[in-house]
Parts: sequence; C-alpha cells; structure tokens
Amino acid sequence: MKTVKKNDSIIRFLFAIIGALFFSQTLTGCGNTATSSRPALTAVQFGSARWEEVVAQAAGGEVNFAMWSGDEARNRYYQSSVAGRVKELYGVTLRFTPVGDTADVVNKLLNEKGAGRTAGGTIDMVWINGENFRTAKQGGVLWGPFAEALPNIKHFAEDARRRDFGTPVEGYEAPYQRAQFVIAYDTARVPEPPRSIEKLREWIKSHPGRFTYLAPPDFTGSAFIRHILLFYLKQGTDEAAFDVSFDERRYQHAVAPTIAYLNEIKPYLWRKGETYPASPKEADRLFANNEIDFTMSYGPSFASERIARGEYPLTARTFVFDDGAIGNYSYLAIPFNASNPAGALVVINHLMSPAHALDQGRALGSLFPLLSAGLTPDERAAVEALPLGPATLTVAEMAKHQLPELDAQYLERLEKDWREKALRQ
Amino acid sequence: MKKPTTTKVAEALAVIAVVGLAAIPLALLASRSLAQSWYWPRLAPPSWSLRAWRYVFSPTAEVLPSLAASLSVALAVTLSAVIVALPASRALAWQEFRGKRAVIFALLAPVLTPPLAATMGVHSLFLRYGLTDTWVGVALSHLISTVPYATLMLTGSFSRLDPDYEAQARTLGAKAIDVWRNVTFPAIAPGLAVAASFAFLISWSQYLTTLLVGGGRVRTLPLTLVAFQRGGDEAIAAALSLVFLAPAAAVAFSVARFLKENQ
Repeated sequence: MKTVKKNDSIIRFLFAIIGALFFSQTLTGCGNTATSSRPALTAVQFGSARWEEVVAQAAGGEVNFAMWSGDEARNRYYQSSVAGRVKELYGVTLRFTPVGDTADVVNKLLNEKGAGRTAGGTIDMVWINGENFRTAKQGGVLWGPFAEALPNIKHFAEDARRRDFGTPVEGYEAPYQRAQFVIAYDTARVPEPPRSIEKLREWIKSHPGRFTYLAPPDFTGSAFIRHILLFYLKQGTDEAAFDVSFDERRYQHAVAPTIAYLNEIKPYLWRKGETYPASPKEADRLFANNEIDFTMSYGPSFASERIARGEYPLTARTFVFDDGAIGNYSYLAIPFNASNPAGALVVINHLMSPAHALDQGRALGSLFPLLSAGLTPDERAAVEALPLGPATLTVAEMAKHQLPELDAQYLERLEKDWREKALRQ
Repeated sequence: MKKPTTTKVAEALAVIAVVGLAAIPLALLASRSLAQSWYWPRLAPPSWSLRAWRYVFSPTAEVLPSLAASLSVALAVTLSAVIVALPASRALAWQEFRGKRAVIFALLAPVLTPPLAATMGVHSLFLRYGLTDTWVGVALSHLISTVPYATLMLTGSFSRLDPDYEAQARTLGAKAIDVWRNVTFPAIAPGLAVAASFAFLISWSQYLTTLLVGGGRVRTLPLTLVAFQRGGDEAIAAALSLVFLAPAAAVAFSVARFLKENQ
C-alpha cells in the first residue's frame, strides 16, 4: 500500500515536469517564429543591392551554419574565435548545426522542397562540395546565384570559381577552403621518398609489401589512382593546353597504361594486393604500426596533426609528386529556404577574407586557399610566416605542384575500370 | 531448498560470463577515451591523456545542453507513450472486437518498415503540418516508434490480469480511481516499468529522426556523438559514448531493481 502511494506521487511529479516542459518549449517555439517575420532577401534583390545594404540588413541577425563537426580543434576554433569575430565585425550571431555527413543536410532540403517549405528553413549556410553540391544544385535546393557578387570572390582562382569536380558552380556556392593531395612517410624508415609516379613504381617493386593505397571509391584512394591517370593523360600533351574536361578518346588512351601500372605493382603491395585498406583510419593504423611506409591524405597538414596527437612518429614528413598534386576546393552554399540569406552572405564573405584565412591557418594549420595576387604586402608576409607543423609543406611548395581536379566523369569511369580490371585480376 | 554444488558453480560461471560481456566493452571504451593513440597489436595504450574528457566537459562540446535536450525529450516521450498505451493495451487485452488483428498490425507497422523510409515519410508529413524543427515535433516523432512497443508490452500485462478483479473491487464499493490505485496499478506495475524503460531507451537512442525532424535545432546527444564517430576522433567518440550510456544504464538498472522488489 505504502509503495503504491509513493509511486503515485512520483508519477504526479513527473507529470508536472513534463507539462512544464511542453509549455515552455511551445512558448519559445512561438517566440522564434515571431522574430523571423521579416521577409528573407532574395537572390534577385541581392543582385541589385549594394554590399553595404546587405551588411546593414545582416546586423543583429542569427545565422545557422551546418558544418561537419567531427573535429575537436575545428569545432573549438569556430565556436569561440570565428563566432566571436563575426559578432564583433557585423553583429551577426553565428550558431552551428552539427553535421556528421553533408548528404543528410541535402536530403533534408530535398524533403523540405518536396513538402513546399520554401521559407523559414533552419539552415542558413552549409559546408559542401562535389557530389553533395551536384545533388543539391540539380534538386534546386540552393539559393543563388550569389558567389560572383561577393566582394572577396576576387581572392579565388578562376578554376575554383568555375567548376567543382566538373559540376559548373555558376555562383551557387562560394569557394572556401583548399585541399591538396600529399603522401606521408617516415624519414627514419625511408630517408628519400620516391618523388614521381615512375620512381614510385620502382620503389614498390624493390620493397615488397611496404606500400598500399586506399581502395576506391574511398576519396583518397580514388585520388591516388587519378594521379596515375593524369600522368598518362598529360603524356604527349602540351602542358599549358591541358584540359580537365572529359574526352573519351583521351581517356581510352590513358586508362590502359594506368591499369597496367596498377597491376604491375599489385603483387608487391601490402598483402600482395589481395586486399586494400578500406578507410583512412585503417591506413593510418598500418602506417603507425610500421606495416606500410606511406599513407596519403587530402589534408596537407594531416601528418603534423597526427604527430601532435601522438599517433605518428616525430620523424614523419610529407611529400608531393614532382608530377604534381591534385587539389580541390570546398565551398559554402545557402539553402533555398534559408531564413537569413543576408546574414549568411556576410558570414560567407568573411570566411573568404584574407584575414580569416590567415587566422585559420594559424589556428588549425589549414592550407591558405587565396590567390597571392590580391593580397597586400603585409598579408603576403603573414602568409609566409604562417606556422607549419613539422611535417607540412610550405604554401608556395604546395601551390607550385598544384594540379586541377579532373572532370567527375573521369573519376567515375576510372573507379569502374579499377574495380573491373585491377581489383578482380 | 539447497542447491547442489554443480548448479552453484554453473550459476557463478554464468554470472561471470554475463558481467564480463557487459564490462569488457565498457572497460575498452573507458580506456580508449583516455588513450592518446591505440593501435593493434598493442595490448595497452602507449600513453594516456585527459584530452577527450576535457573537451567533453568544455562548453564548446555543448554536451550538457544536449544531455538536457535528450533527457527532456526522452522523459516526455516515455510518459506520453505510457499514457497512450495504457487504454489501448487494456482494450486489446480485455476486449474482443472486429478488426482487432488489423489494429495490432497497424500498431506494428512503424516498427516493421525500414527506419530510413519511415523517417523520410514522417519528415514530409511533419513538414506539411509545421511540426519540424521544434522540440514538440521531435518528441512526437519519437512517439511513433515507442508507442507500439509500450502497447504490446502492456497488452501482455493486462492479459495476465483477470478483468473480474476490477469488477470485484467495484462491487465492493471502490471508486474508479481507487480500483486503479489498489488493484490494476499494482498488478501491471512491473509491465509498466518495463514498457516505460523501453520507451525511454528507444527515444534516447534516436538519431536520424531527431536530425531530420529537429532540423539541427533540437540537439540531442546522439547528434553530437555520431559526428565524432564519423569524424574518426576515437577518443572523443568513446568519451561521448560513455556519457551517452550512463543515463540509459541508470534507467535499466533502476527498472531491474524495481522488478526485483515487486516480485
């Protein structure tokens, strides 16, 4: 009898809590919709507006940034430093929506479009590129065009503004960060790494079992085999006239020696090429365990970060092929139903500024993505002075070896041919 | 009754096995959250660090607000699920009516459909009714997958209780509320506890539904956790997993104790 009474009062207490919660959450919910009653800026209006007007409209607003948030240092830097700076400069409150996979955001937007939710969306800007951008652009869930009208667009190279993995950008996303392919090695094990596609072949054959690459369609593994394709694509072509757009005849010409190269090294790979590491994490582990002598990444400072975390030996370094290293950009886009496009534009423009790029280079060791031509002498000196991790190559060194990303069609075809002619051999 | 020694030994071994099965993964998680780097074939991490835990308890990680969001949603869902399930299960257990099988099938449908398809549909529907991006919407969406479990479990409890007990109490002059308090509730309490804990745990572990319906506005703990799992920072993912596990384990533990007391 007694226990029943006790349970009774517990349940009553819980009811009271839940009731209060429902009530308070409903109230704040209503409050939110009331404040965002001002109609959102349209891309057409933005086209004819002066930048100062956009900045004025953004002041006091709130911007929700859907950002991949699987990195501690990056989260910390954006939530404290970048959010503080944006508040101070423009009076914009920057909030973050944690994202595990950008495809989730694109799906959400497509669903919202299907349901006719064309305004009052919860996301104002999103970090995006490649396939996700293509899906979002084709699905018509992006706000724009806007990128070419941003004041800081002048700091970015023409190839970054034109194509994202072969998809025409057309102003629907603004270039933001640069990634470039590097290979890590350990100077204690390999004093002089093979710095070209040709030398790599010889090295692998004379060091059986010590090299492997990530199995495509892994992003990094796919980039590795693309370097070989690019090497053969460029043979017999005038370097200056080299074009990244897809050409069937040229592909056929280059793919045969590419597959031959990969099959030639296959018996000398880790585990005789019967299996490949499936994720960067696995390749990292093999390298740290001294089972293989190289790992690769699209992040030029990745080896320095691993050294700092105690995962790679202090003697780890990175190199790029003399033949060049493929680089690409990641971008910022605005969803079609963003509640505060004006605020997003201002934040995006800030993230494209030399001041921010320098700050992020100092805080996170990110590759400096801007053209040096548009920089002041002071800024240029600051870029030179960016602290590099022990294993990171200089900005100038990376820029010198920059290769453009091939059309996405090359990527798809090569991955298919690799699966059929190299993996299953 | 005295048990033979062999049974005792077998029981002890079984207890050790069960505890081991639960404890070993937990111990691994705990050590991974404190390890700098830890690769096969090392048996123990080469060096230890509090980095992950320092991050988890820093304001940047927003773990406390996510915990509050997760808890408030899960508690609301648990209570609402039980409130919906009680009359439904009572009717299903005690009354015969046309289309009862169809009702049971309809109840099971959200559990039987592939979660991704169901979630996308729920998202579209909620969008139409303006329920997305709110706490209430997220709680409602969790109800869809919790109500079936709660109802089916309580149906079991009600079927084991003879409706005549209620009739008898009423014949003796008890009011409806007294019948509930003194007859029905004590009889179904164990089932109620299990149903409630199930509802809590299901809501507690929702990821995709919260992400889509909550639109990132309602940030429960799984949202933060999944980002780090996919990001490959194992130490932080392990620490967050332990934070995520604690309330769920507490619920399971207290329900187990309650069941034992009510035996």
